[in-house]
Amino acid sequence: MSKPLIGVILGAVLGAIDGLTAWFTPAVRDQLFGIVFGSTIKGIIAGVAIGFFAKKFHSLPIGILFGVIVGAILAWLVAFMQGGYYFQIILPGTLVGLIVGFATQKYGTPAEATSQ
Amino acid sequence: MKWLSDEKLNHLRTVVSEPDFSATKYTFVKELGRGGMGVVCLAEDRELDRLVAIKVLNTPDITEDLRNRMIREAQIIARLEHPGIVPVHDVGTLPDGRIFYAMKYVRGNRLDEYAAQNVSLRDRLRKFQSVCDAVAFAHAHGVIHRDLKPQNIMIGSFGEVLVLDWGVAKLVDREDRTYSSDGIYSHSGDTVEGTVIGTQNYMSPEQARGEIDQLDERADIYSLGAVLSFLLKDQPKVSKAAQAITSKAMATAKENRYTSASDLSADIARLLDAEPVSAYRENAIERTSRWVGKNRFLVLLVLAYLLMRIFLIFTSRR
Amino acid sequence: MDPDTDIGGPAHRFPATNHSAIINARSDDSSVRRRAFDTILASYWKPAYKYIRLKWHADNEDAKDLTQGFFASAFEKNYFATYDARKASFQTFLRTCLDAFVANERKAGRRLKRGGDMDHLDFAAAEQELAAHASSTLSPEDYFYREWVRWMFTLAVDAFRQRCEESGRAVHFQLFERYDLSDDEVSYASLAKDFGLDTTTVNNYLAAARRDFRRIVLEKLREITATDEEFRTEARSLLGIEC
Repeated sequence: MSKPLIGVILGAVLGAIDGLTAWFTPAVRDQLFGIVFGSTIKGIIAGVAIGFFAKKFHSLPIGILFGVIVGAILAWLVAFMQGGYYFQIILPGTLVGLIVGFATQKYGTPAEATSQ
Repeated sequence: MKWLSDEKLNHLRTVVSEPDFSATKYTFVKELGRGGMGVVCLAEDRELDRLVAIKVLNTPDITEDLRNRMIREAQIIARLEHPGIVPVHDVGTLPDGRIFYAMKYVRGNRLDEYAAQNVSLRDRLRKFQSVCDAVAFAHAHGVIHRDLKPQNIMIGSFGEVLVLDWGVAKLVDREDRTYSSDGIYSHSGDTVEGTVIGTQNYMSPEQARGEIDQLDERADIYSLGAVLSFLLKDQPKVSKAAQAITSKAMATAKENRYTSASDLSADIARLLDAEPVSAYRENAIERTSRWVGKNRFLVLLVLAYLLMRIFLIFTSRR
Repeated sequence: MDPDTDIGGPAHRFPATNHSAIINARSDDSSVRRRAFDTILASYWKPAYKYIRLKWHADNEDAKDLTQGFFASAFEKNYFATYDARKASFQTFLRTCLDAFVANERKAGRRLKRGGDMDHLDFAAAEQELAAHASSTLSPEDYFYREWVRWMFTLAVDAFRQRCEESGRAVHFQLFERYDLSDDEVSYASLAKDFGLDTTTVNNYLAAARRDFRRIVLEKLREITATDEEFRTEARSLLGIEC
């Protein structure tokens, strides 16, 4: 499995889980479908970016750092658009970026192998 | 006639068994060890100005046929160019008729000495894998060792693994006759009853029965299993998979053993990579446990994420 | 040559060799048989005498009679014809026959008639050696083996000396005697000085002497083993290769 694909799958799954936890906030429960959809897309975008980064650059610490940055930026954008819940959105978003950054560096077929 | 004291007698026995290198380019330095097949000495190669190990086969009366066979065997072993097989530099005949091989002098520890140190399980398995690779190479070239044991495996000063003492090696030639350096010659299919070759705790059941003409690579597989068992002895946390690999290699019936040293090496590699091994069928719990063990950090991250999520849910409710 | 029998193959058949006194002891030719027995006698009389003295607690006269009586009987009744190399080494077989002979003689309480033609055996010297060096922690069987090894090497030294003298290489033997037989600590340099040679020559002469000595030891051993297999086994043991 290629690194971008790992990023996409993991980003989507974690993004969906992230979105589903909105169910525990009654105020936004009626927007759950939109939240889950948006969160999943956010996860996929983060996963693609981090996955392609991992395909090019093979360094676990740098890959994790990149994942953290991408996750944090995307989460901030979402929170900004929401107009609130900055802590509740940015913290998990950053952690998802960290996980995807780690997983894409550690697993998946490197670029040299896939190009053969 | 003058009476010979015990001391003089022992000296004379040493003198007559000591190799005479006078007509060779080697200078005897000291004896390194003795075995049933002969004596191993440290010697100086005066031409190349280096130390070598010389094994002198102590067959007191050598026929032309036996000499030719031994030299042929040395030639075949010398062609085994592999980092795990101690290279043979020279073969010849001493002035007293004994055959000698000059080999690389390996500085380091024998595997049994190495294992007595505080070495991790992973390192032991890696060294063992190197042994399997060397033996697999020899098998691919028609050579069976027949006396694999920790004392015949050296760990060099750079951590390299070398298999020594191919002195009881068996060769299988194209006409399917078997030759060995102990001078026991027979046609394939004959059983030479009662001729036991190898070292007791490490020899396969068929070797112990003296069926030297029935031996194939799987005899070495058994011995490798015994070496693995030795390395795993008294080690904490030896997994069921590792035990299963040992048991399969040491199966009494050779049909139930690994068919090649490469297969054994591959299973060790899988064990080291926390992959499932062919010798052991995991249940679901063991498979999950192994996967979690292999991906510990990822699992911890995901758990941390979920815990953080739960924490946020609780705090937002309040 | 059939390789299955040449190197002690499965059948352990006796090779057609005339080196072995054990084989020749069964010869139909009485002169061949006599010579073979003389070889066996020469190799074993001393360890046999010492063994009887120690194991059977015989006094020196009784031990002398028993030793001579045993070998005389062995020749007359051809004890060694029943020897089978597959079962044991010859020296083990001989020791067993010796024990049986002594036990029978003791039981019968006979006054032994000494066997003929053994007056050349120096029992007095054997007795002196026993008196001077008797203490041993070895079992009688191990003692017999040890004394047999000692005697084999003693005979080999004597044979080596004779050969060197006959072939005009007395210096070789003298160097060997000084370096390997003497209790004095000598160096190549001191030997070179004493013999008016250079150290390289001393080194070469000693190497040649040791080679020749080894050959003689193995020749002597060949005479009193029956098969190639037995010879190899005894050689390994005699040369201290297998402990």
